[in-house]
Amino acid sequence: MRRSRPISLLKAVVVLLGKDLLIEWRTRARLNALIFFSLATLLLFSFAVGPDTKLLARNAGGYLWLALLFASVLALGESFRVEQENLTLDGLRMAPADARAIFLSKALGNTVLLVGLGALLIPVMIALYGVKVTLGAGPMLGILALGCMAVAAPGTVYSAIANNARARDVLLPLMLFPLIIPALLAAAKATTLVLQGDPMNQLGSWSGLLIGFNLIYWGLGFVLFPRVIED
Amino acid sequence: MSTVLETTTLLAQVGMGRIQGGWEYIWAAYGIAWASLSLYALSLWIRRPIKASRDTKE
Amino acid sequence: MSGLMNAVLQYGSAAAALVVVGLGIRLGRKWAPVDSQMDARPMLVGMSVAALVLLAVGGWLGLVWSPQDREMGDVYRIIYVHVPAMWMAMLTLVLNFACCVSYLLKANWKTDALAEASAEVGLLFGGFGLVLGAIWGRPTWGVYWDWDPRLTAMAIMLVTYTAYMALRRFVEDPDKRAVWSSVVGIISFANLPIVWFSVKWWRSLHQVQSTPKTVDPEMALSLRVNAWAFLILLTLFLLHRYRIALATREAEVALPDALPPDAPASRDGNSTEVA
Repeated sequence: MRRSRPISLLKAVVVLLGKDLLIEWRTRARLNALIFFSLATLLLFSFAVGPDTKLLARNAGGYLWLALLFASVLALGESFRVEQENLTLDGLRMAPADARAIFLSKALGNTVLLVGLGALLIPVMIALYGVKVTLGAGPMLGILALGCMAVAAPGTVYSAIANNARARDVLLPLMLFPLIIPALLAAAKATTLVLQGDPMNQLGSWSGLLIGFNLIYWGLGFVLFPRVIED
Repeated sequence: MSTVLETTTLLAQVGMGRIQGGWEYIWAAYGIAWASLSLYALSLWIRRPIKASRDTKE
Repeated sequence: MSGLMNAVLQYGSAAAALVVVGLGIRLGRKWAPVDSQMDARPMLVGMSVAALVLLAVGGWLGLVWSPQDREMGDVYRIIYVHVPAMWMAMLTLVLNFACCVSYLLKANWKTDALAEASAEVGLLFGGFGLVLGAIWGRPTWGVYWDWDPRLTAMAIMLVTYTAYMALRRFVEDPDKRAVWSSVVGIISFANLPIVWFSVKWWRSLHQVQSTPKTVDPEMALSLRVNAWAFLILLTLFLLHRYRIALATREAEVALPDALPPDAPASRDGNSTEVA
């Protein structure tokens, strides 16, 4: 399975990532729809819970991550459909690039997309649920990045698999959601701590869990992804 | 003296705290276990491969 | 009951279970393949009888012979089926993981078939084990679902493996199904420690669930006999399911495009009740 590598892994990742982001930029309409979908989700939570601002503020971290999670399924599902429409994945496979570069570029692209989405959602969440970021923007962005990476790595592998199966729209969330429950739990808890302050020093262990999750799934994805897209 | 008394009171409290009865839960649990095991065995029996071409004795 | 009886039950059940596992592996090699001419009926009957006898003895030990628990009264008797079921579920998950890794290293239909069998049988044991855990929770904690870390982690793993089985059902190409489900199996199993720690920490913020650990020797004997009985059942189920998986694969390979939509349909309806 190992091919000769005329271009280095890193260079291939950069080129592929640039290509994906360019496609993302050229299909802005889809991107906008994604943003409004997640905003609507955020809004819907407040309707589902009712106008109890205390309750909303207490659960703000969880709602933010659920909105991001729902949006991520749409974003991830699209990331390989783009390739399938014109059979460009075959082209990528035949290119003298490592298959692992495809994984890294796709997963990084999805991470960038989700972090961007999260960066848009956080101010809205602050306004809508009446919370304030006690620990500051730095930890908030750090948790956002870690959480989005945790969704993107297994999400990319599963999206490549589900894309070629029957009932792919059901299969992707069915496989992904139970898998990332621990990451979701850790990200939501850590976000709540960042928002409400961390008197008992629990932020460290939740971030540690997120980092461990990322290490395992970026590693596994890197190793296993070539087998997923091989012929 | 007092320790003996304390021990007896403790034991009495533990005895009082014991959950009484609850056999309906036990029967429900064993029933579900046996039912699911037998149903699965049945489903395996229904799905058993039948050698139509080669095997003539069944 | 005398000490002799005790020892006979303890070692007898263990020996019976190990013999059955050995026979199961042998039959899996010789009898399960589609072109096998082996007449396995005497052995299969013997194994099934061993399973039923041990299950009956285990049930009697658990329901009648074991004394009441100091705190739980009679209700604790549920653990004699709940705990072995959970053990078997864990065992099948490990087996499934081993098969997935082995398939990616060296493609082999038999490994793939065993992976399918172990996932399905594991879902069965895990599924009813979980329900039993919930039933146990009602009289002891007052609610069916208390977010006990062990039960919660098991529930998450069960959903994960349901997705694994769904994937197997949704991919028609046998080669791709085997590779992809192996990847998903490895990824799912790697989640086990993370799920465990996250759920444990998540719960510890609320309260620490203390489960009383008072195991009398009599209780240990009942638990052991039941666990061996379940191991025999597990072996039998795996063996038969493995044989079915091999036969299905044979049909798929033998008829490459004659009836692709029909061939999987026969399996579709049957394995759903497990989830």
